[in-house]
Formats: sequence, C-alpha cells, structure tokens
Amino acid sequence: MEWLHSRLVRPFRPLIRERHTLPGILSWIGLGTLIAFILVGIFGPVLVSIDQTKALAYPILLPPSLQHVMGTDGIGRDVFARVIWGTRTSLMIMAIGALLALVVGFPIGLLSGFVGGKVDRVLVLVMDSVYAFPGLLLAALIAAVIGKGIFNIGIAITVIYIPLYFRVTRNQTLSTREELYVEAGRALGARSWTIMLSYIAYNVVIVIPVIFSLSAADTILTAAGLSYLGLGLEIDIPGDWGRDLSDAQRFLGSGIWWTSLFPGLMIILLTVGLSFLGEGLNDIINPLLKKERA
Amino acid sequence: MPKSGSLAAYALTRLFLSLPMLLILLTIVFAVLRVIPGDPIAALFAGRAPPDVVAQTRHQLGLDLPYWQQYIFYLGQIFTGNFGTSIGENYHGKSVLAIILDKLPATVELAIGAMIVASIIGIAAGVVSGTNRDKPSDVALRLYGTIIFVIPVFWLGQILQLIFAVDLGWFPAQLRFSGLPFPNQVTGLYTVDSLLQGRLDMFLVALQHLVLPSLTLGLVLSGFFTKTVRANLLRTVNADYVEAARARGIPEGRIISRYAFKNALIPVVTVLGLQFAILFAGAVLTERTFSWDGMGMLLLKSIDSADYPMIQGVIVVYALIIVGLSVIIDVINGLIDPRVRY
Repeated sequence: MEWLHSRLVRPFRPLIRERHTLPGILSWIGLGTLIAFILVGIFGPVLVSIDQTKALAYPILLPPSLQHVMGTDGIGRDVFARVIWGTRTSLMIMAIGALLALVVGFPIGLLSGFVGGKVDRVLVLVMDSVYAFPGLLLAALIAAVIGKGIFNIGIAITVIYIPLYFRVTRNQTLSTREELYVEAGRALGARSWTIMLSYIAYNVVIVIPVIFSLSAADTILTAAGLSYLGLGLEIDIPGDWGRDLSDAQRFLGSGIWWTSLFPGLMIILLTVGLSFLGEGLNDIINPLLKKERA
Repeated sequence: MPKSGSLAAYALTRLFLSLPMLLILLTIVFAVLRVIPGDPIAALFAGRAPPDVVAQTRHQLGLDLPYWQQYIFYLGQIFTGNFGTSIGENYHGKSVLAIILDKLPATVELAIGAMIVASIIGIAAGVVSGTNRDKPSDVALRLYGTIIFVIPVFWLGQILQLIFAVDLGWFPAQLRFSGLPFPNQVTGLYTVDSLLQGRLDMFLVALQHLVLPSLTLGLVLSGFFTKTVRANLLRTVNADYVEAARARGIPEGRIISRYAFKNALIPVVTVLGLQFAILFAGAVLTERTFSWDGMGMLLLKSIDSADYPMIQGVIVVYALIIVGLSVIIDVINGLIDPRVRY
C-alpha cells in the first residue's frame, strides 16, 4: 500500500502545487473531463434505458427536440442514448488497450534499458519499425484477422501502443540506471533483479500517467476509426461512436447533421480532455524529473 | 557510415540501413496474417463460406505448409514483385500488384493535397505563434494545434461535407471525378493527367473533387506542423547568430524571414518523416468518408470479400512506401542540412 501510495499519489502533488500555471490548469481541465466521462460511463447506462439504443425504438431521423435532445438516427435510435452508452464502450476499449500495452511494453522496456547491448538494439529497432507503420492499418489488419468485439479491438489497439510504452520506459530506465543510489545498491551487493525491480522500476513508474494520457486520446480515435471502417464491434453493442458516425454518412447528403455532430463532439471532448491532461502532466512531471536528478 | 563521400553513397548507405526495418515490418505482417492464434481465413470469411471452401482456400494459398516454407515463399514473392492473384469477388483472378498500382495514384494524390494544406496552414500558424510568444494569438494557435490533432478525421470530413457540399454546394462530397470523361491515364493523378492532356476543364473538376478530402486530412495534420514550427522558431529566434543579426540593426521581419525561419524549417523536414504514418492512416479514413477510390478503400473491400492475397499485398505496399519515404526524407535532410555529414 505504501508503495502504491508513494508511486501513484505522489505524482499528483505537483499537480496541486502547479494548479495556477498553464500546464496545471490544462491538467485539471483534462482530469476533470476524464472523471466526468468515467461517471457518465458508469452511471449513464443506469439512467438511460438500453431500449432507446435499439433499432425502431422511435420514428427515424427526428431532428433534436425536447423529447430527443440529439434527435433520432436513420433506424430510429435515440442519438443521446447511443452517445451515453457509447461512452462506456469507448472507456472499456481504452482501459483494455492501455492496460495490455502497459503489461507488455513496460517490462520489455525495463529489461531492454537495463540489460542494454545487442538485446536493446534489436528491441529498439523492432519497436521503432512498428511505430513507423500506420497504427490504424496494423490495428485494422489484426482486427480483420481476430474478429470483432470490445476485447479484440483492445488487443488490436494494444499493438500500436506497446512501442510507446516500451520507448518511454526504456529511456527512463537508461537514465535511472546511472543514478548514484543504484550504484550504491550494487556496491552493497544487491542482485541485478533486485536492482531492476525495486530500485529502477520504482522510479520509472512515475512516467506511466503521462504515457497513459498521451496515448489514451489516440486509443479512442483509433477505436472509433476501426468501428467507422466496419472493423470494430458487433452490431448489437448498444453504443459505438465510430459506428454511429459510419451510419450517419448515408444521410449527410440530405442535410441530416445531428447523427454526425453529436457522436463526433463526444469523441472530441474526451480526446481533447485526455491530451490536455497528457501535455499538462508532461510539462509538470518532466521538469520535475530533471530537477530531482540535478 | 562513411565520414565523407558523395550524396549518392549516403543515399545508398541509408537505403541499405533501412533493410532491417523493412524486413521487420514484413515479418510482422506475415506473423499477423498467419501465426496469430485462430484461423485467419475462417475469420475473414466469418461463417460466410462452408468449411470445405475455407480448407480449399487455405490449401490453394499454401497456408497449410510449414511456416518456414511459407515465409520463404512470401519474401520471395515480395522481392520478385509477384504478389499473387486476387481471390475476392471484385477482382477475382487478377494480378494483385496490377490492382494495387491502379489504386495507388488516388492515395498519392490525396496525400500530396493533404501535405500541401498541412504545410501552408501549419507553417503559417507556427510562425505567427512562434513570433508572438505567450500573446493571445500564440495561446489560441497552440490550442488549435492541440485540438485539431485529436479531432477524428472522418468526423471533420463529414462536417466539411455538410457545410461546403450539402449546404453551400461549392464542392462535390464524393468521388474523384464526375461529369466529364476521365482524363487519359498517364500518372493516375487526375489533376496532373488532365493538365498533361491540356484540358483545363478536366483539371478544375479534378481539383474541385480534391479540395474537401485534402482540406480534411490536411487540417488534422496541420496541428503537428504548427507545434513543430513554433518550437523550432522559438529556439532559433534566440540563437546567437540571430542575436548577432539583431545587433547589426537588421529589421525584425527580415531576421525572422531570412535568418530564423530557414533554420527552423530543417527539423520540420525531419519530423515530416514521422508524419507519414499518421498521413496514411488518416488517408484510409478520409478515403472512406469521400468514397475516394484509393488503397484504403481497396484494403477495406478486400477485407470485406476475404481477399487474403490482396490484403497482404496492400499492407506490404504500405510498408514499402513508409520505408521508402523515410529514406527519401533522410536524403533530403542530408541535402539541406549542412550538419548532416555524408
């Protein structure tokens, strides 16, 4: 518990201290947005009946009104209900993708940075190659091969973000490895594993909130993109922003704007929030890391 | 890398060094399409074909051979430029490579259009932002750079369609060409082909169709340009040689345009190389939004029709393009940046 507290709570202390600076303000706006979306994702589906997200629940293509604040879509679903249920779907994919990328990318990055040498060079080359390839295409390929579904899309997306987690973890490990206290631990006779896991990993974990929020916005976009391309989720998922935008496409020519506008705005609100959080945290935590080292 | 030598030698070295990256990408594509648990052919057909058809297709494609044999065959195919024949309903029996080369120009035209839009908007915004540090215009443009970058490109395309195609009727919302006979195929870029043919009317039609997709993709990419140009300009406006120019009494506008700007652009070319991944991913989505008949649409149709050789071919061509572009960018960098020694 003490470990968790010091690693996961301590990074937020500078967030409180820096709350009046621009990075601080951005971070707080971002964090607030993320929390708001999480609350919508948890409680929204409890408050909004799933029946409204089903085909033929209402007359088709009703413009926004008091009964349907965001209108109804081309097959009679309430756009507002779809948007609310879609929040849960997006957050689930984001969580699965980020968690898997962390579970794979973090240890490999740690090992690569710690061991160094040939192993490190090969791993960096592999990860850089994956990173250079269009992520959406790779995810689309994987999604096409392993099939639709929230978990499968999470896996497909993970592949894109493993290189990111790998690279940041590795670079952080490389610089932490040279610290005096690591040297001291070695002099005291600590084994390599002990040094890697309890001396270095301990200090590398601090960058995870930054990588998470920087990659999370992209995760949302990629997941929505896959759904938009028809490679994402099964048709019976009650909310799927990407698919809703794909469905909206047919009616654009008749000037039906509400089926496109609202799901898109939800994506943007969430991604902008996440990138504010990511860039803010990056500005706050990175100088801090430099200061600690100096 | 040799310390000195001709640019050609540098380019060759760079090409050679890119081979491992190409091999890694090709291996990953191979692995995804074959080694992933489960049966890719069955997954692609998704229950639309009886088991004996699935088994027959697998045998026909040699997917029941040991992996090492498949891998050698696969690399052999790519390096001899023979990508096999299509098994999908759209192009059954046709050469995969011929179909891909037929669709490639559309994607290239879209990519060039988007890059032009992104450079113009991104560089202009970056310069305004960088020369007005922390003033309201800078803060606004920095926000623009952050927000535009995380807007879903397909949604932006839909909104631009609603405004400029449906509402105002200025530009067509779909396809690459309409209303006139198609230009004679030379490069496959309709804007270029129509000019080669000397038909201004065709050129305008092609350009009109190109505007909205390029604007959509270009706007999203411009965010990154804005940030990079701004950051580099901030670094160069305070550099010693710029300070020296200032001390000599050269007007600030001239300092920015002649001294700071030029050197601020060099790193932009470097990061341009990183943008191609985002550009091609965005192009797939944009092609779908505007029914733009390029490689992305081809990939989606191939996935739909379980056209395994075509899917593999398209992804491999994307990998070749990405690696090729990264080499070209490095060589250009060597040309314009005197610090790169070759």
